[in-house]
Amino acid sequence: MTGLVQFLSMMISIASPQTPAVPDLQGVYQSVPDGTTLPGGLKNAGSPAAIELLPEAARQAKSMDLRKDPWKVCQPVGPFRMMAKPQTKIELVPVSSMVVMLFEDLSHGMMRSVYLKRGHKAKAEPTWLGDSVGRWEGNTLVIDTIGFNDQTWLNDEGAQHTDALHLVERIRSLPGGQYLEYKVTAEDPKTLAKPYTYTRYYKKLDTEIMDDPCEDQQ
Amino acid sequence: MKKMLLVALLLRVGPIGPQLAFPQNAREAPDWTGYYALATARDLAGTGFKQDFPNEELNSLIIAHLQPWAKARMEATDGIADDTGQVCLPDGIFRYPSMAGRFLWLQERGRIVMVFGLVNTAGVRRIYLDRPHPKNPLPTWNGHSIGRWEGDTFAVDTVGFNDKSWLFGGMEPHTEEAHLIERVRLVANGVFMEISITVEDRHALTSAYTYKRYYKKQPDTAEMPENVCNEDPETWKAFRNAALKKQLDRAKVVK
Repeated sequence: MTGLVQFLSMMISIASPQTPAVPDLQGVYQSVPDGTTLPGGLKNAGSPAAIELLPEAARQAKSMDLRKDPWKVCQPVGPFRMMAKPQTKIELVPVSSMVVMLFEDLSHGMMRSVYLKRGHKAKAEPTWLGDSVGRWEGNTLVIDTIGFNDQTWLNDEGAQHTDALHLVERIRSLPGGQYLEYKVTAEDPKTLAKPYTYTRYYKKLDTEIMDDPCEDQQ
Repeated sequence: MKKMLLVALLLRVGPIGPQLAFPQNAREAPDWTGYYALATARDLAGTGFKQDFPNEELNSLIIAHLQPWAKARMEATDGIADDTGQVCLPDGIFRYPSMAGRFLWLQERGRIVMVFGLVNTAGVRRIYLDRPHPKNPLPTWNGHSIGRWEGDTFAVDTVGFNDKSWLFGGMEPHTEEAHLIERVRLVANGVFMEISITVEDRHALTSAYTYKRYYKKQPDTAEMPENVCNEDPETWKAFRNAALKKQLDRAKVVK
C-alpha cells in the first residue's frame, strides 16, 4: 500500500507543471569598498560620476546649487545613486509576489517594492523610486524601473534626469552565496548621451540591520 | 544555593521573552504576508469586533497609567517643538500604527518584517524568530523584537527602546524600560489582523495597559504607495527652525 502511494505521488509529481526554483536572495548585504578584488578577479566597476551628459544637461548640472543636493536634506537619492554609495547596506526580503529592498540608511534609500507578477502600470504618478517590476532570467533577478519623478540626481555633481529615466538592474548571487553582483544600466535620452552601466559587489552579512535615521545632516 | 538559583531565575524570567523557544521558522508557520490597513468602524460593522480604546480614547487610557513625573513631563512637552515626527525623523512605533497605520507584513526565513506606510517616521520592524533578545540591546526607536507562534497566535516581545518617542500623540513619555507585548492573530476568516497591545514600563507607568487594534487585509492587487515625508525641504526647514527656536526659548526661561 505504501509503495502504491509513493508511486502515485511520483506520477502526480511528474505530471504537475514544475516551477523552476529561483535563488534565495534573502539576507543583509553591504557594498564592498572600491579596490576590493573578489575570487575570479571580480571588482566594482564604473561610477555615477562617470556618466556622459548631453550638452544642455551638462550645463544644467554645472549650474546646480550643491547645497540643495537631496542627499544633504535627507531626501531619497534614487536607486542609481544609492546603490553606488560606499558602505550601502541593504536587506532583500523576497516573498511570493515581490522582492522588497530595504536600506539601513532609510531616508536616502527608503524601501523599494519589486513586483514579480505584473508589468508596469499603464498610468501611474511619477515617484521618487519609480515603478519596479522584476523577472528571473536563470539565476539573475532583472529589475526594470520607470516612472521616476525628476527630483533625484544621478550623481554627487548635480546631474539631473527627467521622467524618461529607465533603469535596468541585474542582481545575482555568486557561487557560495556570500556575494551579490549588482549591475545597473541607466538610460535617459533627454539627459544622457548614452546608456551607462556600473557594477557593484555586495557582501552578505550575518548582522542585524539597524535603524539609521538621517539625523546628522540637519 | 537553591535560594540564589531561585532569585536568579526570578530575575531572568520576563513576561514573554526569555521563555521563548528557538529556533522557529516563519515559513513553516501560517503565511500572513500581505498589505494591511487600520480597519475603519465601517469595515468592522457587523463583525463583532471593534477598535478597543479608539484613538480619541487612547490618550486617556495611557495618561491614567502615567506616574506623576511622567505626567509632569508630558505637560511640559511641546507638541510641535518636541515632536520628531514633525521634521520627518522617527517617532517610534507606539503612535502611527494605532493612529492610521498601514503596513506590509512580510514573512521570511527566521524573521517577520513589518514595513510601515510612513516609513520615515515609523520605519521598519524586524521580528526575529531564531534568537533571544541581546543581553544589552542598543536602545533604538523601534526596539528589538522577537516572536514565536503559539497555535494560531503570533506572540511578539519587544524591548530595547530609546526614550525619545511618545506612547501616543498626547506626548506621553516612556523610558528605556518600556516593554511592548503583542499578540497577533487573524480573525473573521482572515479578513482582519487583530493585535492586542500591552505596554509596561516600571519607571513611567503605574501599571501596564492593554488595547486592541484591527487591521484589514487589503486585496492582493493593492500596493502600499510610496510615502516620502520630506518632499518639500523648505517646509521641512521652516518646521525644524520653528521647533529649534521654541526649544531655545524654553531653555532660556529655564535658565
